[in-house]
Formats: sequence, C-alpha cells, structure tokens
Amino acid sequence: MGTKAYFMIKTAREAGGEGYEEALKALEAMPEVESIESVSGDYDHVARIHAPKSVVSVANKILENEWIKHLEVFKVETDEPNPFLEEVCAIPAGESIRSCAQCGMCSASCPNIDKMDYSPRKIIALIRAGRRHEALSSNTMWVCASCYLCTVRCPNDVKITEMMHALECLAVDRDLASSRTATPTMYQLFVDSIKKNGRVHELGFMIRFYLKTNPFAAIKMAPVALQLLRHGRMPLRARKIKGTDQIKAILDRAQVLGGAR
Amino acid sequence: MRYYPFFPGCSLGATAVAYGDSVKAVAGPLEMELIELEDWNCCGSTPYGSTDEPEAVCIAARNLALAEKTGLDLVTPCSACYTTLQNANHNIQTYPDLKDRVNDALGAAGLEYGGKVRVRHLAEVIFTDIGLEAIESKVVNKLTGLKVAPYYGCQLVRPHRGFDDPEHPQTLDRLITSLGAEAVPFPLKSRCCGGSLIIPEPNLALGLIHQILDSATANGAECIITPCPLCQTNLDAYQGMVNARFKTRYEIPILFFTQLIGLAFGIDPKALGLDKGAVSAKRVLDPYLAVAK
Repeated sequence: MGTKAYFMIKTAREAGGEGYEEALKALEAMPEVESIESVSGDYDHVARIHAPKSVVSVANKILENEWIKHLEVFKVETDEPNPFLEEVCAIPAGESIRSCAQCGMCSASCPNIDKMDYSPRKIIALIRAGRRHEALSSNTMWVCASCYLCTVRCPNDVKITEMMHALECLAVDRDLASSRTATPTMYQLFVDSIKKNGRVHELGFMIRFYLKTNPFAAIKMAPVALQLLRHGRMPLRARKIKGTDQIKAILDRAQVLGGAR
Repeated sequence: MRYYPFFPGCSLGATAVAYGDSVKAVAGPLEMELIELEDWNCCGSTPYGSTDEPEAVCIAARNLALAEKTGLDLVTPCSACYTTLQNANHNIQTYPDLKDRVNDALGAAGLEYGGKVRVRHLAEVIFTDIGLEAIESKVVNKLTGLKVAPYYGCQLVRPHRGFDDPEHPQTLDRLITSLGAEAVPFPLKSRCCGGSLIIPEPNLALGLIHQILDSATANGAECIITPCPLCQTNLDAYQGMVNARFKTRYEIPILFFTQLIGLAFGIDPKALGLDKGAVSAKRVLDPYLAVAK
C-alpha cells in the first residue's frame, strides 16, 4: 500500500562532470527511491519513488541534498482501491474511460454543457478520483441528450454517452439521482409504461409525469398535446402486446442475474 | 421484391403516424415488402438504458431473438430504436458473458438469441439496397424549385459509423436532389434536437430546436425533412412554443423523408399523412400537389 510517484530531478552536477556519479549513487541509496534513470533535456534524472506516508516528505528529503537544483513531481500513482471506477468499468464499454487523456474534446462538443454541474471531462476525472457522491448526485448525465457527438469525436475512443447512461443507472440504484432535474422521474415512468404494456403509451406516461412533477407545467404543454390529439397523433388508449407475460418473466430473471457485464 | 422484417417502434403508432403511413405508401413503388415483426416490444430507448442497464439489454434482446427466427436483417425507421437495438446487439456480440446472461433471461420466456441479427435503419436500406437511381426512375412529379433542409439528427449517423459521415452526412442531400428539389446548405443538419429531454427539460430542448430551425430557415429552406420520429415531433409540435419563447415566426413544415419521396412519386398526399403536421404543409406544398394530380 501507499503511493508511488515519479520525480524529475535536476542536480548541480552535470553528467560527465565532477560529483555526478556520487549524486546518482546517493539518490539510488535512498530507501524511498525504487529506481532511477538518467535522462537528457531540462532534467538529469527521473526517479520512481515509494512514499509510505506522503509524497511531499520524500521530496523534501531529497531536497535536503545541497546539490539538488530542482525537483518536480511528474506523476503520482495511488494503489488505493477505487470501487467506483471498477463499477463504471464493469458496464459494457465502461472500461474505455481508463484511456481518457482529459483533452476536453467531449466538453467542447457537448450542446448541453452550459446546463451541467460538471462537464463530461470533469465527470470522468471525478470517477477516476473515486468521488462517487459528487458524480452520482450531479445533474450532468441527466441533461445529456445522448447525441453521441462526444463519442464520435473522442480521440481515445472513450464511450462517453454510454458512461453517462451507466452513471444514471448507478445514481438510480444508489438513490442519489439529482432532484434538480425531472429527467429521472420521466425515465422511470417511461420504463413503467414498457413493463406494463410492452410498449410505451405516450399520453399515459406524460399525464403521470406532469401529475408527479409539476401539474401547472401541463397547462403550458396542453396546446402541444391538443395539436397532436387533433391530428390523430396521440392515441388515448395504450396498446398492449401479447407477450407481456414474457416481458415479466425475462425481467424477473434479469433481476436475479443482476448487473454488470 | 425485397423482404424485410420491420420494427416500427412505438412512435409510429402515435406521434409519428404519418411516418408509418408514408413508409407503407412508398414501400410498394420501391419494391420493398416490410413485414412487421410479430409482437415486438418497445426497444427500451434511452430511458430504460439509463434506469436499469441489465434489464434494458434484455428488453431489447427479446426483439433481436424474435427477428433472428426470420433469418433476415431487422429494419427500423426510428433512429432511437436503431441506436438502442444496435447498442444492445453490439454489446451482446462483444461480451460473451453478457450474451450468456441475456440468454439465461430470455430462456425464462422460451427465447434464445445467437447474436446473428443485423439491425438496419430504413434510410440506410433505401439508400443502399434500393439506391438513388431506382428512386429517381420512379419520380413522376419533379419537385423543381422546392428548397429542402435535410435534417439527419443524431442517432442515424452516430455512434455507429456506417453508411454516412457522423458529422457531415450527405445521403439525404443527394436524395433531395434526385427528387428534383434543392438541398439547402444546413450547418446544423446533424445536431441534437434534445430528443426526449423536451419533456423533463423543456428549456434546454427548446433552445436546441430554435437553433436548428434558425439554421434551416436562414439558408432559405421552405421545409425540413428527417428520418427520425423524435426529431419530427420536436421540430414540428414544439415550433409554436419556440416562437412564443424566442419571439420568432417560424412556420416551416417538418416532413419525414418518406413523405417527400411519396410526393415526388405522385402518391395521394392523404395516404402520405401530409395533413398530420402541427405546422401545416399546405402553403409550401400546394404548388407541387397540383402537379401531382
């Protein structure tokens, strides 16, 4: 357990010059230094270190040597378990978020980013930092319209839209779905409609939606519904398929089998 | 004659009844027979996949299992059904353990899915199997002068790359030209209309619809065509709300691409459901109807 890090180190003793070998040996001899390699460029060495307590304390210990000119923490790796990341990676295509380079192409492509608590890029960062509550209680995935523009543009093939769907499922499962958006309620009523009839009855689930969320909003929407009714585009009665018992049997079994890939 | 198992999707019996009518009307002249998949169920759409993933894939897979019995490709006219069924199919084909679990669940209903179905969008079938030349040869009523904006929406071209570019698709443009009409430049042709978010997040969706209508009309479009039931409903039925909110005066008819094909084929407008739009198509299409008769 503990943390690994890479340090970029510049010494006052240039390669080939006096004391260079001694400096390298002194660094190698430190118990925290796991391996060290010489590099060219602005720095002389890159060291992989193991920090039992903190990365900063190891850095300070190295900086005690008067011949160290500069030290930069290049990368920190923690081997702390991240069950949230594992959960997201377990859904189909979820493992793709491991290859996110945080370039921000997804955020730049999103038509609804101005309505989101966290941009798609930030949501991926939150998952990889294990910050379950912040990610799952945000509104981000609920204002994603599944347009897949981020997905086709991602240079590393991260399945961002699928990840949004997975976050929605996890938020519902953990009872963390944001109350600042009505999307979870609408989705649930849509699902209920399928479970009952095998197909979606738009008028039925929309009436239930407005009653449950904001009956006054229904008044604003009434002209739209009336237009559709008038043009024969909103059947009053639900159509039930013959195989509703099949649907029930499949879903009961799916529940027993549970989630993840 | 080509035969296809047909998955209409829930909206073709409701908000997109005109799509269903026009698909039926043009199928004959296009020498396609669309055979409705027996007792199909809702694909699950985005809402199911965003509520309970393991259940959603099984719901979609029941349709794939029913389709597999026919031994033919499954064709759907709905872009949302297309993406949902395609996603489920892709995941079942990619992850063997998922396939096992789906089959365990399907087994409870006496069904099984071997992963062999190919899911296709009706637009892709018409462009690829039938082809523009065959369509052009059936045109009796050239729509000369009609300015049309081709609105692809999202899920016909994304995320599954297939017959057209995910951001700059061209097929509908070429269809419009082959019918004698003019395809106007339309920068937002594959941008999002908000989909089902129009219900829980109307402010967000109305803004997106406004941008799309603006892009089409600014380029001189007299009507918009689309291959997606959700796009049609959002752009058509909510156009009045967009006008109220943004103080605009859009009055642009939103047609299904099959309605435009039918019009050029000289089919009776009523049989194409051209009277079903919330925004009337009468003013724009009247000059072309006269020729049809």
